[in-house]
Amino acid sequence: MSSTLKGITLKGSAELVAEFFSFGINSILYQRGIYPPETFSRVTQYDMSLYLTTDTKLKNYLTNVVTQLREWLFDCTVQKLVLVITCLETNEVLERWQFDIECDKTAKQSSGPREKSIKAIQEEIRSVIRQVTATVTFLPLLETACAFDLLIYTDKDLEVPEKWEESGPQIIADSEEVRLRTFTTTIHKVHSIVAYKRTDYI
Amino acid sequence: FKPCFHRGGRSKLQVGRLEFAEVLRSRGVYQKADIFMKMDGMDDDTTVFTTLKSFKSFISQPERSHHLAETSIAKGDLQKQYIQRIELEGAAEKIHSKTNLLQMAQEKNQMELSHKRARIELEKAAHISARDFEREVDRNQGLLTCIKKLEEREADTEKLLNEEAEMNKTLKKNIEALNKKLEEKDSKISNANETLCALRDEIRELNHKIKNQEMQLATQATENEGLQEQVQLQHKKYLEASQKYQSLQTSECLNSENELKIKELERRLALQEQDSVIVRNMRTELARLPDAERELKRLREENSYLRETKENSSLLKEEAEGLRRKVERLEKIKEDMVNLELEKEKLAMKLQAWENLSQTTGLNIRKPEDLSREIIQIQQREIGLKQQNSSITSSARALEKSRTQLQNELLQLRTRGLEEQKKREQQDALVRRLQKRVLLLTKERDGMRAILESYDNELAASEYSPQLTRRVREAEDLLQKAQAHNSEMEVQVSKAQEEAGSYKLQAQTAEMELDVLKKQAADADNSSFVVGEEVSSLRQKIEELEADRSRLEEQNNVLEMRLERHNLQGDYDPVKTKVIHFRMNPTSLAKQERQDEAEKLREECQLLRERIRTLQAGGAVATEEGTFNLPPSQEVLDLRRQMESAELKNQRLKEVFQKKIQEFRTVCYVLTGYQIDITTENQYRLTSVYAEHMEDSLLFKHTQTEEGGWRLFDRGRAAPARHVDEGRLAALRQQPPAQLRRPARRRAPRLLSHDERRHFKNPSLSHL
Repeated sequence: MSSTLKGITLKGSAELVAEFFSFGINSILYQRGIYPPETFSRVTQYDMSLYLTTDTKLKNYLTNVVTQLREWLFDCTVQKLVLVITCLETNEVLERWQFDIECDKTAKQSSGPREKSIKAIQEEIRSVIRQVTATVTFLPLLETACAFDLLIYTDKDLEVPEKWEESGPQIIADSEEVRLRTFTTTIHKVHSIVAYKRTDYI
Repeated sequence: FKPCFHRGGRSKLQVGRLEFAEVLRSRGVYQKADIFMKMDGMDDDTTVFTTLKSFKSFISQPERSHHLAETSIAKGDLQKQYIQRIELEGAAEKIHSKTNLLQMAQEKNQMELSHKRARIELEKAAHISARDFEREVDRNQGLLTCIKKLEEREADTEKLLNEEAEMNKTLKKNIEALNKKLEEKDSKISNANETLCALRDEIRELNHKIKNQEMQLATQATENEGLQEQVQLQHKKYLEASQKYQSLQTSECLNSENELKIKELERRLALQEQDSVIVRNMRTELARLPDAERELKRLREENSYLRETKENSSLLKEEAEGLRRKVERLEKIKEDMVNLELEKEKLAMKLQAWENLSQTTGLNIRKPEDLSREIIQIQQREIGLKQQNSSITSSARALEKSRTQLQNELLQLRTRGLEEQKKREQQDALVRRLQKRVLLLTKERDGMRAILESYDNELAASEYSPQLTRRVREAEDLLQKAQAHNSEMEVQVSKAQEEAGSYKLQAQTAEMELDVLKKQAADADNSSFVVGEEVSSLRQKIEELEADRSRLEEQNNVLEMRLERHNLQGDYDPVKTKVIHFRMNPTSLAKQERQDEAEKLREECQLLRERIRTLQAGGAVATEEGTFNLPPSQEVLDLRRQMESAELKNQRLKEVFQKKIQEFRTVCYVLTGYQIDITTENQYRLTSVYAEHMEDSLLFKHTQTEEGGWRLFDRGRAAPARHVDEGRLAALRQQPPAQLRRPARRRAPRLLSHDERRHFKNPSLSHL
């Protein structure tokens, strides 16, 4: 693990980013109420208390996606990760949480670890997750039953694994975008954006 | 064989002794047995011990004798004896135990007897005591009742006492009250007496006052009379005054009336004057009337005339307006025409100029198409020239670049050359210095050697070795110091030389650059006049390009922003990126579930609709249970079970009823002789056992109005016996209505009996 070493390696960076996504996705699902709050249990991570789902099917799905994502982060072939929230009744996209990933490909060649403390990275991640929690105040309420999906933007030439398939970008028709904070491990840089459907206020 | 070793229980011991004595006797040891019996009266313990000892000795003797014998036969005898002894012992034990038992039983019996006796005695005693107890209890009760009675009497006397005491108290209170009253009355009487005295005094005083007042009254009466006379006089005067007043009033009324009349007359006068004035005016006006008529006519004519003129004038105005507009338009047209003519002239001139172009330019131009073609050609030539220009400029730039590059390279090479030179010089200097040093060192060495040889020579003579060594050391130190100093100096010198070399190098390179620049400036000066125009054109180009650049930069920014926006929204470049997701993702699963739910609901709906249709049509529900998807609930099952049980009950009740009714009817028929059938509602047909035909029956009808009565409705075929019963029936019918209206409960049996008799009179049945 990169926590024991002084610097960050490519593998360690991929691990950190994948971990962030795992907790981030769980946080978003909890905050937006996609799944009932009683299906979440509290854990401590990044020196704050976060929520993780206890639903087995959901856990399996997230583990599958995050494992694959970690591989791709190591190969530096992933460009974005998007969490799409769809309304089940009208089948339209209500929210889009987009995480842009910039990978420094020179880290693949040079095998030396980079100088950045884990604490600093965790501090940055903590601020991002706090922002995610705070965005709930201005995002429109999700009153209908919703479901979510995880989309990954990868290089065109990537081999699609067995359980995955191509899909559309599921862009919101009339959207407002808000840029959130960025965190970087010196090898991977993750930008966070939330886009939501503009609601007509009378 | 254990002897009884007991201090107590002598009887047992005695029995044991007896047995032992018997055993001994049986053995043949009579002596011992006798001894044993004799010892009966002595102390038990010692006898036991002695007998034991003797017994043992006796037992051991036969054994010894047995041992001494040593013959088989003796052995057999011994064995037999032994066996016999054992048997005897066993028997003795049994007897002992039996005697014990008998003893015990005897004791028990005795004890029981004693028990019984004791019990009987006790019972008697108990009985006696019980009797005594009962007597005592009775006495107690009697005493208690006496006590109660006495207590009651006490209570009564106490009550009486209390009552009498209370009465006493009340009587005392009454007496006291009466005493008080008496006292009060006494006091009242005394008060009354006092008041009486006071009142008498007052009466005397009042009498005095009355007398005085009577005197006053008399005087006042006389005064009164005088005053009355005056009043009468006044009254007369008043009457006169009133009369006068009345007369005044009447005269006033007359006055007012007269005044009113005067006013009226004056008014009438005024009106008449007005009327006269009006009449005069009317006359004058009448005089004017014909003039007015004439004027009226005239005015009418004028009016009509004026109207016509007005119409005419309006028409004329319109015409004038129209004409004015026309005039304006015509003037405008004129102006336009003038302008057009001017333009025409200009255009004609231009056309001429254009037509003359061919003459001016010397080209083969006749039409505008030729001109355009020429222009296109010129433009193409221009484009070609521009391309050439651009290519030339690019080549010029490339050449310049190469030139600058070459110059730079040249500079570099020169610097390198200079560096090399400098290095070489440095190295030459170094070499020289080294050579000098070598020379110096050799000289030193020679010197040292000379000194040493001199010292050696001296040493050989004088042997001042310590001084010499000291001096040698001093010399060496000096030498080392000198050498160190030397090396320092050399180092400084070399440093200085290096610095000087580097400065020189810098200066040389600067000089070279200056030369190069000077050359460039010279070149530029030389070619400035030639490319002055080029520079201006280039400057223009530069400005245009700057403007383009800024515009393009803005566009770039805008596009970048748009791209950023699209990026934020999630757009991507399909050439480089693709979007993938997990196949079994929650959204698709949720959609699938929704669809499945919808399908299921639709199917359920369908099934329910069909069910409703069949139910409405009246189909059995039970048969559809198999096709029913929903499992029947507990309630439904219970209800079904209840229904089934109810139906079964119903069925059974029906059967039972059927059976019973059948039985009843048969019994009725058999016992009463009449079969009762229900034909229709409230109609009953009675057929007799003896009737030969079915039609021979009586029909009764139940009517509600006649107190629940039964009316004979129809007789059916009862002809043969009619003559017998007709009279009876007629009699019945002739009875007054009230009797006929009797409750037919009594009438019907008579009819039935008539019918029976009729049947019996039937000859075919006469044998019955």
